[in-house]
Amino acid sequence: MSPSKSLDRRELLKLGATGIAASALAGCAAAVTASNPPQSAAATAPESPAAPEPAAAAPTPTPAANRRVLGRTGIEVPVVSMGVMNADNPNLVRAALDGGMTLLDTAHGYQGGRNEEMIGTVIAGRKRESFTLCTKVALGTLDRKTGVFKPGTRPQEIEEKLDISLGRLGLDHVDVLYLHAQSRRDSTLLAPILEALSALKTKGKARFIGVSTHKNEPEVIRAAIEAKIYDVVLTAYNFRQDHHLEVEQAMAEAAAAGLGVVVMKTQAGVYWDDEKQHPIDPKAALKWAIRSPSVHTAIPGFTAFDQLQTDLEVLRDPVLTDAERGALDRPAHAGFFCQGCERCLGACPEGLPIPELMRSYMYAHAYKNRVAAQMLLEELALPRQACQSCITCSVSCAKKLAVRERIADVLRLRDVPRVFLT
Amino acid sequence: MTPLALLLPLVAAPPAAPDVAALLPQLAGWEREVPETYGPKDLFEAINGAAEAFLQQDFEELTTVEYEGAAGKVITVEVYRHRDAWCAFAMYSQERSQSAAPLRLGVEGVGGKGHLELVVGSYYVKLAQSGGVDESALWTVAETLAAALPGAREPPPVLAAFPARGKVARAEKLTARAVLGHAFLHRGAAAAYELAGARFRLFAIEGRDAADLQQMLGRYLALAQSEAKPTAEGAATVKDPLNGVVELSWKGRWLWGAVDSPLPQRSALVRELGDNLAGLLPEVVPRR
Repeated sequence: MSPSKSLDRRELLKLGATGIAASALAGCAAAVTASNPPQSAAATAPESPAAPEPAAAAPTPTPAANRRVLGRTGIEVPVVSMGVMNADNPNLVRAALDGGMTLLDTAHGYQGGRNEEMIGTVIAGRKRESFTLCTKVALGTLDRKTGVFKPGTRPQEIEEKLDISLGRLGLDHVDVLYLHAQSRRDSTLLAPILEALSALKTKGKARFIGVSTHKNEPEVIRAAIEAKIYDVVLTAYNFRQDHHLEVEQAMAEAAAAGLGVVVMKTQAGVYWDDEKQHPIDPKAALKWAIRSPSVHTAIPGFTAFDQLQTDLEVLRDPVLTDAERGALDRPAHAGFFCQGCERCLGACPEGLPIPELMRSYMYAHAYKNRVAAQMLLEELALPRQACQSCITCSVSCAKKLAVRERIADVLRLRDVPRVFLT
Repeated sequence: MTPLALLLPLVAAPPAAPDVAALLPQLAGWEREVPETYGPKDLFEAINGAAEAFLQQDFEELTTVEYEGAAGKVITVEVYRHRDAWCAFAMYSQERSQSAAPLRLGVEGVGGKGHLELVVGSYYVKLAQSGGVDESALWTVAETLAAALPGAREPPPVLAAFPARGKVARAEKLTARAVLGHAFLHRGAAAAYELAGARFRLFAIEGRDAADLQQMLGRYLALAQSEAKPTAEGAATVKDPLNGVVELSWKGRWLWGAVDSPLPQRSALVRELGDNLAGLLPEVVPRR
């Protein structure tokens, strides 16, 4: 998920009043004043490996209108779920579950297995029927480029890896087991693989079988329909895909055939630009992806509480507004910020630190934080007559920023008393 | 323009990343396939959804190659280049097993049956075998890369600032994003502690400079509804609505403190962490 506005108490209360996320987030807040501290509080950074588990909170009921049935599995899922792949913070997962995101998506290989282990600590003690756990297994012999299984493929590798995953998760079965990352019809339909997957369903280690795809998605989705053993498809889908109409058509066919349809990569790269300066509106992108009834749930990934809040807001109100649809038009001002490439260094005869000056300008004008801009200028200890010795500017910015004008603009802040800047 | 000014761009240019494929060894009895490279836009094609976690830690390029040996044995080598040594170690720290003993490979390595992971400079290297295990071949590749890849052989200095008393072994983690789960607290390290029957974490957050730190601190204090002001140096105990009682201290471009279990002993460790940060990481060189 992309950056979003930061979380504040008013926003939490607002969400809490609507019944979403209240138990999780208020639970954290309540723990602040209690002698019993919040366990495994939030951090992308470390979590005590053996931290005692807090009492499992009952999931907050998600409004029925915002839940959909995952095809023939019959599992009722929230329209927004959690892709746990890049979270290493149990408290974040707890908050998601308690907020109504009752479907968790992970994979055998995420974080070298740490991802499934972390989820295992979260779901321990929770009622099994209170959450839906989906994981994925990739075969080591799948050629990444061609999507073809190489000679020597061992279908039993699926069960071997699933057994390890079940151990990490502390479960005797997962709800959906995906064959991971398929990109071809023939691989999706490979008979020995289908037999191995079906056997796992028979053994009860996976209630349902699925296939995931993020390349040649329509072909894989249609192969999944054709195979008849798959219950769910997980596909990349977002508003920036060149072929999103084809994906939509295939998803509609899958849903009509009774398959559950889950979408990923809904945030479309999170940023408009390679410099990661212009975030895509995360709510708009997510709402766009779930606007079709053929989509049963989306699994955006997130690592921060404010991103969770954003996704919970979409879960509460998934309708894409006209304004949000408009926000998905590419902005014309991409490339506004200094990317810090430092190609300009040395080009200034005065040796001015151009990237830092551009950053000061960014603080002043983009962040509207003129104190931070002024403080940075003070740190730079620039000469009093900085940027006054040249008739023409020899600095050529790779991003075409108006370097001279920006320096002239921001240097004026040096003379402004701090009290007037706050 | 002065001659010196003409030379400066050459002097200031960052060193070009080496051709990783050229550093990979040949192994007798193994056939090395053609290396493939992936960038941030197509990393998903190589490692699927796991790409998200790498992108969080400023991944730049993946070089991957397979060695095919007898009887269907395959060694898969993945060399991930990140923006800097911090980000590479961050990704490594997210994935490393706490139960396995560390290996002397590059900055650090870890391994198990049929797999090895190590970090060197801004590179995170993962090796895995399928179709049977040949430890000596695996180690040959790992040691070759550990010696040939450029960059630091020491972990990011901030890790040494965490006091040893009570620290859980190998539970330190770095991140380039969202420390404590707050998106505006970027780039930090944290370590888990067990002391007097309590578990808590110490953390250190690094600003690009003092102004950047002030920006983060200001937002954090506002979130916690603290009356403390983001002065150049200070300390406060705040009530983070999501993380509970958090001890905070700050100076220059560093913000550090403790979270979880507010037992009295942790305050001493917070002070020690601050002293260590001041000693290890002088403020004279702002991070770019």
